[in-house]
Amino acid sequence: MQNPYIPYPVVVDKIITEVDTKDIKTFRFKFVNPEDEAKYSYIPGQFGELSIFGKGESPIGIASSPTQKGYVEFTVQKAGVVTSALHEMEEGTRMGIRGPLGNSWPLEFLEGKNIVIVGGGFAFTTLRSLINYMIYGDNRKRFGNITVIYGARNPGLLLYKDELIEWGKRTDLNLNVTVDKGDATWKGREGFVPAVCKEVAPSKENAVAVICGPPVMIRFTLPVFFDLGFSKENIITSLEMRMKCGIGKCGRCNVGSKYVCKDGPVFSLAELDKLTPEY
Amino acid sequence: MEKRLIKKDALTGIAKKMAGDFLVWAPVKKEDNVLFEPLEKDAEPFFSYLNSKNAPKNVFFPHTETMMKYTRTEKGMVFSSEENKTAPSVLFGVRPCDAHSFALLDKLFNQEKYKDGYYIAKRENTTVISIACVKPPYASCFCTSVDGEPVSADGADILLTDIGSDYLAEFMTPKGEKLVKYFGDTKADAAAETKKNEIAAKAKEAIKSKIPAHEIKPILDKNFDNPFWNTIYGKCLACGTCTYLCPTCHCFDISDEVKGSDGVRVRSWDSCMFPMFTRETSGHNPRSSQKERWRQRTMHKFKYYVDMFNSIACVGCGRCVMSCPVNIDIRKIVEDISKL
Repeated sequence: MQNPYIPYPVVVDKIITEVDTKDIKTFRFKFVNPEDEAKYSYIPGQFGELSIFGKGESPIGIASSPTQKGYVEFTVQKAGVVTSALHEMEEGTRMGIRGPLGNSWPLEFLEGKNIVIVGGGFAFTTLRSLINYMIYGDNRKRFGNITVIYGARNPGLLLYKDELIEWGKRTDLNLNVTVDKGDATWKGREGFVPAVCKEVAPSKENAVAVICGPPVMIRFTLPVFFDLGFSKENIITSLEMRMKCGIGKCGRCNVGSKYVCKDGPVFSLAELDKLTPEY
Repeated sequence: MEKRLIKKDALTGIAKKMAGDFLVWAPVKKEDNVLFEPLEKDAEPFFSYLNSKNAPKNVFFPHTETMMKYTRTEKGMVFSSEENKTAPSVLFGVRPCDAHSFALLDKLFNQEKYKDGYYIAKRENTTVISIACVKPPYASCFCTSVDGEPVSADGADILLTDIGSDYLAEFMTPKGEKLVKYFGDTKADAAAETKKNEIAAKAKEAIKSKIPAHEIKPILDKNFDNPFWNTIYGKCLACGTCTYLCPTCHCFDISDEVKGSDGVRVRSWDSCMFPMFTRETSGHNPRSSQKERWRQRTMHKFKYYVDMFNSIACVGCGRCVMSCPVNIDIRKIVEDISKL
């Protein structure tokens, strides 16, 4: 039996600086033991514990899609002890990852439905995983219309800029990128995410909204979707809490009787309504 | 089920004999406290104790435990999980409330999906011998309110009950039966069993402290925001004594320690009473004051654990009641909740 507390050894294969402020980077890891890749079989929406020896661990959503073979990616903001150490790392460094942990975006529930993805700022990482999964090859046929609304404070803070360009060229994906305030070179949309959601006005018919972003964005976006007629069962989000074990034992990330690490991080609004508002 | 009678003065000898063959954890007098410690050669176990100062959960879930080791090498970090090398052990002489706590901790650490190998290895390799409380040790004992009894084998492999002239030894599990040879050849007769049942009924009767532990579950379901929570935490010092002494508290931290090129990752007991327990890197803390932390502790024991495992996470040992430096009494909190 795999000891769930012991990380898989990985090598930092590639580091991509995502934003102008240089404090958000995507780390691509390759497994030191090739057979570990199959053991690390994940679903979009799950997370892993990035493990740096001597520093500790940090729970981070998986940013790559399982359709991307040979590696796994995490997009990480420099914030605390572990993520700061990670940001100092060079390609070729050896470290560890644990997981995959948590539930996932509910792929079976999403199948056959129109999907509206709403992301704000740095919380776009596991949504990117979901988008790349849904548009990959034959997977695309399993989902209806895909609408993506993604916003950042300014153009320099948008993640995955190359992919946004590629997605924008597709006819089977309605991409709406917005920034709070543009700059001299920005030719795209300006405006806050909730306002753009109102403007795009996705239909509630056979639709599910998957929403991830900073609390202030969530607070103003939810009423827009309620006005559009989305039920709480059909609005899905992902929570974050301080975590250590990641498997529902160490006792700190519970919201009521549910552990965010094990029973979440993905919950529908209907499920969250049943929990205590302590997150 | 095997049953034996042993002379009362034989207990120490049995523990010492076992200590020659196994690692035996037994109650030992240390300064003013009685603690469960590995019984050293020629050391005397202290069986005439009331209950140990600390819960014996540290036998399976040590205060600090190495999870893995790592070394910096030319090629980068090389790490290995700490093997669960546990010696065959006997935990000799725990009280039934504490043995009950093992059954509760099993539900968490030995869950279907995520198994905690560190806990399970020690648990599976240890035989638990309970000594029944024929007289409740403290006025603050309330085991009968939380699915326990002073004479109960729950969580134990062998139960010893003082029936006056002798101890009745009952071998509850196959693991317990393997140790039957240490307990002599005197088979227990029906009279001994009758005597034990009488004693058990009397002991149960003698537990006077009662709390409505089951009754408050539906109240807790509906009262997360009740102003009542403002009234219980004011004097709490956030010292964490209640959680450290509690037989069922299992929260832990994981941290790294490095010395030169070598390091270890350890887990250590943590406490929901501490502000840092839930504080996030951003500074946000979902349980921002001692009020939320007390609500969490109460809810975890009497609601969340019931939701998750259909069991109350309290065994009624009364350690938190006796050791709280500012006399916060969980019994009163539960009582007050029942009146909401």
